[in-house]
Amino acid sequence: MSANSSLLSVQNVTVRFGGLTAVKDVSIEVAKGSITAVIGPNGAGKTTLFNAITGVYEPTEGSVLVSGRDPQRSLTKAVIAGAVSTGLATGLFLCLLVRVEVIWRASIIDLYVFQQPFPWMKSIGVFVATLFGGGIVGTWLPLVLGVVLGISGRMVIWSRTRRTPDVVASAGVARTFQNIRLFPELSLIENVTVGMDRRLNSGFIAALFALPSALHERSAARTDAMKLLQFVGLANKSEEAAGNLPYGYQRQLEIARALASRPDVILLDEPAAGMNPTETVDLMRLIKTIRDAGTTVVLIEHHMRVVMGISDRIAVLQYGEKIAEGTPLEIKHDPRCIEAYLGKEELG
Amino acid sequence: MAAATSRFSLFSKGQLVVLGLLASTPLIDVAMPTLRLSAPMRTVVTSAIIALGLNIVVGWTGLLNLGIAAFAALGAYAFGILTCEIYPFQVGFWWGVLLAGAVGAFAGWLLGAPTLRLRGDYLAIVTLGFGEIVQDGLKNLEAITKGTQGINPLPAPSLPGIEFSSETPVRWFYAYLAILAVVVFLCRNLEFSRLGRQWFAVREDELAARCMGIQPDKAKLKAFAIGAALAAVGGALIASQLSSTGEPANYDFQMSILALCIVIVGGIGSITGVMVGAIVMVGLNNVVLPIATQSLQNAGIGSTENVLTSPDNYKFLLFGLALVLMMRYRPDGIIHSGKAVRK
Repeated sequence: MSANSSLLSVQNVTVRFGGLTAVKDVSIEVAKGSITAVIGPNGAGKTTLFNAITGVYEPTEGSVLVSGRDPQRSLTKAVIAGAVSTGLATGLFLCLLVRVEVIWRASIIDLYVFQQPFPWMKSIGVFVATLFGGGIVGTWLPLVLGVVLGISGRMVIWSRTRRTPDVVASAGVARTFQNIRLFPELSLIENVTVGMDRRLNSGFIAALFALPSALHERSAARTDAMKLLQFVGLANKSEEAAGNLPYGYQRQLEIARALASRPDVILLDEPAAGMNPTETVDLMRLIKTIRDAGTTVVLIEHHMRVVMGISDRIAVLQYGEKIAEGTPLEIKHDPRCIEAYLGKEELG
Repeated sequence: MAAATSRFSLFSKGQLVVLGLLASTPLIDVAMPTLRLSAPMRTVVTSAIIALGLNIVVGWTGLLNLGIAAFAALGAYAFGILTCEIYPFQVGFWWGVLLAGAVGAFAGWLLGAPTLRLRGDYLAIVTLGFGEIVQDGLKNLEAITKGTQGINPLPAPSLPGIEFSSETPVRWFYAYLAILAVVVFLCRNLEFSRLGRQWFAVREDELAARCMGIQPDKAKLKAFAIGAALAAVGGALIASQLSSTGEPANYDFQMSILALCIVIVGGIGSITGVMVGAIVMVGLNNVVLPIATQSLQNAGIGSTENVLTSPDNYKFLLFGLALVLMMRYRPDGIIHSGKAVRK
């Protein structure tokens, strides 16, 4: 399968923690509009794989493509310009800081006669002359030091945040967590609205003065959030605190929050964990509806009924390696999968 | 949905009640002119502004800042340098306050940009250290800050046709109260904005917020800078009230801790709560106790020699008691922030 036809393409991803290899050379292609399940025994590296995809961990080797592109902050002109201007600002600031009293005396105190008009232009001239007139130690050393410090600081931050979860999320990948991570003290509707954040664009000034643009955006976002809560069946609890919800509802709220960003692909980490059989059936229906609405689904799950019931394709992990991939029927009869789950039959 | 519609009013009910309460304190002055309440009540207002700034950082974004006094100091000195007649700028009261806020925001941004990636305790230590550095820096830059003398005299608020002086504490108090009302209005807008939502999300679960596409570093930096700006405005108002920046040691760790106590006792995360906290803590400290001491002395019961009959001495006893009782009976503060009911 080529990278073009698949929405999410995991290519030879390896994740190592020191000497431990949690995920080893795993490749998975997720077709657009499909439901793909990742299964395997506990500790097989499923969640680590999800974390590598969403940017929580940096893959040690390999890459993850979303719609054929690697979601990364690339080295654009804006990044370089930002680094250079930070460097210059830091340099000038350091320059000013090391001789601030000298500069102050020359450009302000010496020129100001009490209650007389102040010669502003002359002062600025003196200021610049003094700022750059400190010789090697007074001017150029701090300037160069500041420029180096500023540029390298910005570049280090850039290189460390090239593929953070927010970058991956902005590329259209949303997720839920195995150990639920809601915002417990926010109401349900606020939780979902946070999920919408990457679609909102009202700025600081509009927010500060509650300008109509910000207020409209807010009410539109809340209407959207309400629809999503209706979709997962939580609309009647919209103003409750998320932390007070029963466990099963919390999982559904997480799904609603992940959907709020209108992702291309949603990763569900054990969505049916802790659910009773009725809730599980509801969940299967929900996942199918999500897929039918055009969002590709990847899920980790242990409930075989869920996995076999809704998946188009299944990948099986064991000890960090992919040991099989195929349709539910193929997986059901794959001897390696049976072995991984049930153990090897003793012969003789 | 009541919550959504009430957003379009300027203030919440609780905020209106507290602002109204503050606005009616000069009435006590009318009834009992000897108390001279309005003058010390200004300190309640300035403390409330600083604590509201701290509330954005600590209460909403969940970052422990132990150096908020440093930003108040920078605001006070910026106001002093920009308005005092010993320097050529002399921009006047209102521009002075605004520019002090800008200087505070810049300082907050400067401190935050490299350090906000630190977590929890480490950030607290950095802010603590910054508080000490600023004090020492201001003390030693004598050519600019006049060292321990402080920059003075500084202007009072000014409005066309209205005169402000130490003879008219009521007017002056109302001018400060108006500034507080503007600060409350802006804080409330932010609380219900997209940025506010980002702050809350980062406080509740940074990784989850990140996975929703939010950049926690940027949200934190904005919180830090805005909090610093408000603290600087508070510092500028203090300087104007004293007509001097005072000495740098006035803006010490104790001031930071007092602001933190106001936020915690009043109700962390709640604008109304923080204002109530300022009224309770600073009101006790600067208004009730001095007046009680004075009246006991006037009645001939207390004297400065007798420690027991001079309520002023109970200040820290009462502070400690208040904190212990609060933590025991109302750990969320006097006014519950309604974090859980944030709708």
